[in-house]
Amino acid sequence: MKTEDLKNIKDYKYGFTTDVENIRSPKGLSEETIRFISNIKKEPSWMLDWRLKAFNRLKVLKEPDWQKPKYPKINYQDLYYYSAPKSASTKPKNLDEIDPKILETYKKLGIPLDEQKRLNGIAVDAVFDSVSVATTFKDELTKKGIIFCSISEAIQKHSDLVKKYLGSVIPLSDHYFATLNSAVFTDGSFVYIPPNTRCPMELSTYFRINASETGQFERTLIIADKGSYVSYLEGCTAPMRDENQLHAANVELVALDDAEIKYSTVQNWYPGDENGVGGIYNFVTKRGACRGKNSKISWTQVETGSAITWKYPSCILQGDNSVGEFYSIAITNNHQKADTGTKMIHIGKNTKSKIISKGISAGKADNMYRGLVEVKNKASNSRNYTQCDSLLMGNKCGAHTIPYIKNNNSTSTIEHEATTTKINEEQLYYCNQRGLDQEEAVSLIVNGFCKEVLQQLPMEFAVEAQKLVAISLEGSVG
Amino acid sequence: MKNFYDFKVDNIEGLSAQEKEFRNKELDLFNKNGFPNKREEAWKFTDLNTILSKNFANITNDYISLKEKKFELIKEFDHNYLIVLDGILVSNEFKFEDKNKVLIKEYDYKKQISVSNQNSLNLLNNALATGGYNLEISRDYKFKKPLVVYNYFSESIKEKIISYKNSLILNENSELTILNYTDTKTKNNFFVNSFDYLKLKKDSNLKNIFINKDRCNCYFHNYLKSDLEQNTNLDTYILSTGLKFNKMDIEINLNEERAKSSIFSALSLGSEEHQEIKSSINHNFKNCQSYQKIKNVLNDQSRGVYQGKIFVKQEAQKTDAYQLSKALLLNDNSEFDAKPELEIYADDVKCSHGSTSGSIDLNLIHYLKSRGIPEKEAYQMLINGFLSEILEKLPEDNLKKFLVEKIGRQINGY
Repeated sequence: MKTEDLKNIKDYKYGFTTDVENIRSPKGLSEETIRFISNIKKEPSWMLDWRLKAFNRLKVLKEPDWQKPKYPKINYQDLYYYSAPKSASTKPKNLDEIDPKILETYKKLGIPLDEQKRLNGIAVDAVFDSVSVATTFKDELTKKGIIFCSISEAIQKHSDLVKKYLGSVIPLSDHYFATLNSAVFTDGSFVYIPPNTRCPMELSTYFRINASETGQFERTLIIADKGSYVSYLEGCTAPMRDENQLHAANVELVALDDAEIKYSTVQNWYPGDENGVGGIYNFVTKRGACRGKNSKISWTQVETGSAITWKYPSCILQGDNSVGEFYSIAITNNHQKADTGTKMIHIGKNTKSKIISKGISAGKADNMYRGLVEVKNKASNSRNYTQCDSLLMGNKCGAHTIPYIKNNNSTSTIEHEATTTKINEEQLYYCNQRGLDQEEAVSLIVNGFCKEVLQQLPMEFAVEAQKLVAISLEGSVG
Repeated sequence: MKNFYDFKVDNIEGLSAQEKEFRNKELDLFNKNGFPNKREEAWKFTDLNTILSKNFANITNDYISLKEKKFELIKEFDHNYLIVLDGILVSNEFKFEDKNKVLIKEYDYKKQISVSNQNSLNLLNNALATGGYNLEISRDYKFKKPLVVYNYFSESIKEKIISYKNSLILNENSELTILNYTDTKTKNNFFVNSFDYLKLKKDSNLKNIFINKDRCNCYFHNYLKSDLEQNTNLDTYILSTGLKFNKMDIEINLNEERAKSSIFSALSLGSEEHQEIKSSINHNFKNCQSYQKIKNVLNDQSRGVYQGKIFVKQEAQKTDAYQLSKALLLNDNSEFDAKPELEIYADDVKCSHGSTSGSIDLNLIHYLKSRGIPEKEAYQMLINGFLSEILEKLPEDNLKKFLVEKIGRQINGY
């Protein structure tokens, strides 16, 4: 990438706000708020009961405090839990009915909702603050029996499936933020792939926080029935604000026999300015269950945004021969903090997992890999390989690795490797010698460092991610 | 629920009012949370509270040591020795050394140094410590023969806690090899909670080896704190197989340039043994080195835990830190847990860690069997090979021979 290009996109280009009229829930966290959300979504009574159950549970739960990045106490009564563009109060049936301002926003973000003009198909579900505003390529997917819609719609139209799987991977009472999400989640995506179906296109959701003083709580549920395959992408952006905004999402994946789910995230929430003011608190719970035999779940994440990233996309390998994968790049610059990693729980026989994590910290940032690999007593012949590499740029940042490794089966093998270094000066020198300036050289070397993970991303995302890697480190070497 | 322990500061004689007050305060702090369990990060894999409550009915700290006179000494190699009975220094012998260069006395437990209060077992040690020794080596003195510290426990000890503190100071340019040799004659259960403080002054060199004689029914927790000055070297060897429970909590502070530290461990754990090594290596200054290599062989129902932490301060540039833990699981009821941790704030460093656990490669067994070696022997050969990497690092010939032979017997006990 050329230096001029880098300069053009140096600043957080998604930092604008869109001026649309909003409908908001009453301020604060209360039963009233939950009833308001449930009511406006026209949810059946079982869903409201479920939410209230979570809310009651929340009252006795405490916020966890073992994480490395500490943050000022969040005042949960000072947030709006539901905010939706007024124009979306009746769900638009086609794109013409969507508020042009919102369409424009997505255009600015480079997300095409205009499906006619798309050449290579990616079906998109766009979530604006608390509601899903558009889902594209619906007809084509419906023909194959694939359900791809907002979770609110699914609760109404496919309540059997939602009832069966919602909360089956992340239980109601899991931990504070997951329970909070269960009580107040507003929207998100729902995907169901019927048996023996290969989803013909990538499914994608774009999340956008727009309103101030709101938290975003979306919920995603993906079910891959026997022998099916789906690749799902998730992207997110938010405007620049001086306040810290909370984003606490829950993502649940269920893979049945022989099914495969590939879940990719490019997370680019607003990271705050260079003095650490503002930015998103990204406290997300992502968990996948390989329920069936020979099932596979693969997480790929590129984490460049957020003031604090705190998430551990995990795999529960229940089915025999199931496979879990986790590929991650976490980049922190300025005052950003990340505490991320994964959990691989081996329960079934012959289960395999692979973890590749690349952490890069620059400026005054802190970057932490924290992960658990656990082989249970009955998981014979299981295999895990973990590799965590950290790169430090400058002497004011930190890189940390805390893996928890538990092996309770003598036929299983666990391997873990980690290294921490800075950018090799010889490599830099070599690049400089060949006419690349310092920043281009760093960008090249870092991209090489991340290559194993970038390879895992679908084409469209890989290009975006590569650019992001370069931008995120802009100005960190001097 | 009835407590399985009952500790009283009043059981310790001859304390001043001030000392009593300090100890009672420490004991109150301990009693607030009791013995640690998995909720504490430092005890993530080990629930000591449950382990002790299952194996003890009522632990107390009132005991009278029998004044035994006869002690069996190691004959295999020449050595100096200290004899410690139930934590109390009984006698010492430095016949191979210049006696003016060695300062040995009982630890003045009535005037304690206060120890960091992070750890609940250290609180308990502060409250209950009696006995212990104080050893100081003069500057420029290098020991000619190793020093063996015999840790004996008398037969009358049962359902007791034994707490003591030792301190060892190596002055400038001195050198010493210590073998900590635990010998328990009793089949009774007891709990030892000790605290060792090591200070290595400029250019000094210490080798610190831990081993025990037989299998025994005792529970150990040993906190080892060391401060290293410029150009010092500390090697720690942990070979203490056979204890029911053992946790070595090692804190090493590399405070000045070119301080070097390594930890080697070769353990072959038998039935229902639980061994934990927890290390925290603090690189507080530039140009220091640390190295850790932990190898565990786990048999029937045994549990090995390794929690290693490398901490690199912002100013500790040019740090070289390495950490490796490997475990062989021979049985489905055995378990190995590891938490190799890196916390790094300096950029010009080389830090890495690795951890593996798995079973013996059956192809290798097949290879040996096809060459006429019986299965059991084949296993032993491979285990020997696995651990020998550590044993080769041992210092000095006669001592090494003694240790290798001892460990060989432990492995063949399999």
